[in-house]
Amino acid sequence: MTVRRRMWPIIARREFVERARDRGFQVSTAITLVLLTGVIVISAAFNRPTSFDLAVVGEGSDALGTQVRVAAAALGVEVVVHELADEAEARRAVDAGESDAALVDAAQILVRADPPDQLVGLIQAVSVRERSRRALITAGLTPEEVDAALVQAGLPVHALEPVDARSRETATVVFVGVLLLYGQLFAYGYWVAAGVVEEKSSRVVEVLLATVRPSHLLRGKILGIGLLGLGQLLLIGLVGLFASSAVGTLDFPSGAVATIGLVLGWFILGYFFYASLFAVAGSIVTRQEDLQTTMTPLTILILGSFFIGLTATSNPDSTLATVASLLPFSSPLVMPTRIALGEAATWEVVASVAISVGATAAVIPIATTIYSRALLRPGRVRIRQVLRPDGG
Amino acid sequence: MTATPDDALELVGLERRFGAVVALDDVSFRVPVGEMVGFVGPNGAGKTTAMRIALGVLQADAGRVRWRGRDVDAETRRRFGYLPEERGLYPKMRVLDQLVYLARLHGLERDDARSQADRMIELLGVADRARARAESLSLGNQQRVQLAAALVHRPEVLVLDEPFSGLDPVGVDVLSEILRRQAEEGAPVVFSSHQLELVERLCESVVMIDRGRIVASGRIADLRARDPRRLVRVEVAGAPERWLDRVPGVRVLEPLSEGAIVELDGASESNVLDAARAAGSVRHFSVVRPSLSEIFRREVAR
Repeated sequence: MTVRRRMWPIIARREFVERARDRGFQVSTAITLVLLTGVIVISAAFNRPTSFDLAVVGEGSDALGTQVRVAAAALGVEVVVHELADEAEARRAVDAGESDAALVDAAQILVRADPPDQLVGLIQAVSVRERSRRALITAGLTPEEVDAALVQAGLPVHALEPVDARSRETATVVFVGVLLLYGQLFAYGYWVAAGVVEEKSSRVVEVLLATVRPSHLLRGKILGIGLLGLGQLLLIGLVGLFASSAVGTLDFPSGAVATIGLVLGWFILGYFFYASLFAVAGSIVTRQEDLQTTMTPLTILILGSFFIGLTATSNPDSTLATVASLLPFSSPLVMPTRIALGEAATWEVVASVAISVGATAAVIPIATTIYSRALLRPGRVRIRQVLRPDGG
Repeated sequence: MTATPDDALELVGLERRFGAVVALDDVSFRVPVGEMVGFVGPNGAGKTTAMRIALGVLQADAGRVRWRGRDVDAETRRRFGYLPEERGLYPKMRVLDQLVYLARLHGLERDDARSQADRMIELLGVADRARARAESLSLGNQQRVQLAAALVHRPEVLVLDEPFSGLDPVGVDVLSEILRRQAEEGAPVVFSSHQLELVERLCESVVMIDRGRIVASGRIADLRARDPRRLVRVEVAGAPERWLDRVPGVRVLEPLSEGAIVELDGASESNVLDAARAAGSVRHFSVVRPSLSEIFRREVAR
């Protein structure tokens, strides 16, 4: 006599193992990881402090160049000064892109086409100050009087919305997080739908239904595929974290870890909601070709939520973002951003999670009913038809 | 174990409608332990619907399915073996993994499932394809894997919808032997088939269904004995075309290359023999019992 045992873990295990073994899955995961690492390494290379090369030619240029370098360093900009033999040499260096600008005889600035504003501005300011200084000395003031008058502290800058480096970094991490969430919710939701259609179109579902209840079949499928999605997301997060700290792009690793945690949490919330709906989209068709049609409303819903999620990374307190962060279909793509950027009130987070869990709890039984009743029906099934009380 | 009247799979008063169509109308029959029962009927008669209901894949509008005297539930059905009419395997899953998985779903522990799956692919001659994906197998081999899937969990009861269709003669022999052994080991075996000669060869009993109603059931020998028709098989060489049509009181049931099986409807055996002698040189003349096919044609034509 066999023991009464739960069937859905066996089903979940198959879904997980069969898909993890799939070559396509392994290759796409590897590509994602390579791309992610590549982007992190390249952006680290581009994020070096701003640096300019300044060629100096002729009398006075060298001294002025040195002053430009000092003034630039005060602003956190690096200026490397090269002394060249003559103007022709300077023209060649600028033309070849070796130098960003050349200072000729302390009287003329030479650039190629598009002047590097920051560098030119610095040279202009230093040069104006230097010429004013000389004019005042010529007019009879002592150098001390001149310096006392000219060397003044800059004006203090008061930011109305101070940007701190930490939240700027968080915004970047959360932006990547929203991208990943969108990709995961869509890809794994699609897998649930395609898996349901595969069982229907290959008719293996009848073999399964002789021993498994449809609700267990659905539960096992959603859990197995979801676990794989969560695992893949975790792997991507860890590799990203590791790569960033290896190249030193992350100044606040703890913030990144918290953001990754948020993304994982909202993947779980969003996945169960969407996966149930994707299962319905799969159960009402028999051929993979027809799946695109029944998935369209879900595709639009996810894509729309994704765009709101993107706008929220730059504008987390807009009305649109606030409302979207509470609705069950868009909250997974919007709320993590608002939380990470500190724009979500505690009650909003609690409400959003509660609404999401509640909506999922409401959707699952309906989805299970439609799925169970549509499984053995051939062709395109109408949802209204299977939801009638006698629709079984 | 001694057989009691309860030692059987029983379908009791099954009713099922699909919209306005009555698929099953008071369908009842029993498959005793250790017996192989053929389930025959024309296409669309309700065989598949009845089998699906027996397996719980489909719900009946009324009626019950009983095993060993008790209504079957999901737990009991897990110990049934089922071969659906519409064959189905996971196309991308490896043969062995597939069987282990199905055995697990039927309640076997992992090691047991594994060794049973190994045993079944060996028995059905597909052991060399164990690591192949199901979709890469020939249709005949897919069919064998499908049968392995129905048997892998040592089912107590076997319900097979058209198990012989798509098999070559060797496959038919292998499967016949397997089913016979299952029955000997005490499982009730019921299978549907359109190959009535095969049913006649394999089964002691048969159930005939037509338009959702059971039209005949019982031991094949009894059905044949009960058939009131007198049949004669006659073969004549060199006879003129359609000579039997001109013999009064005779109806041709099944034309043969040099004669026919005829039903005597007024004529006597000697009338037919005389007519045969007159027509040419008689090669064969015998009084026969109606075959299952003939009983089937008669029941279904009613």
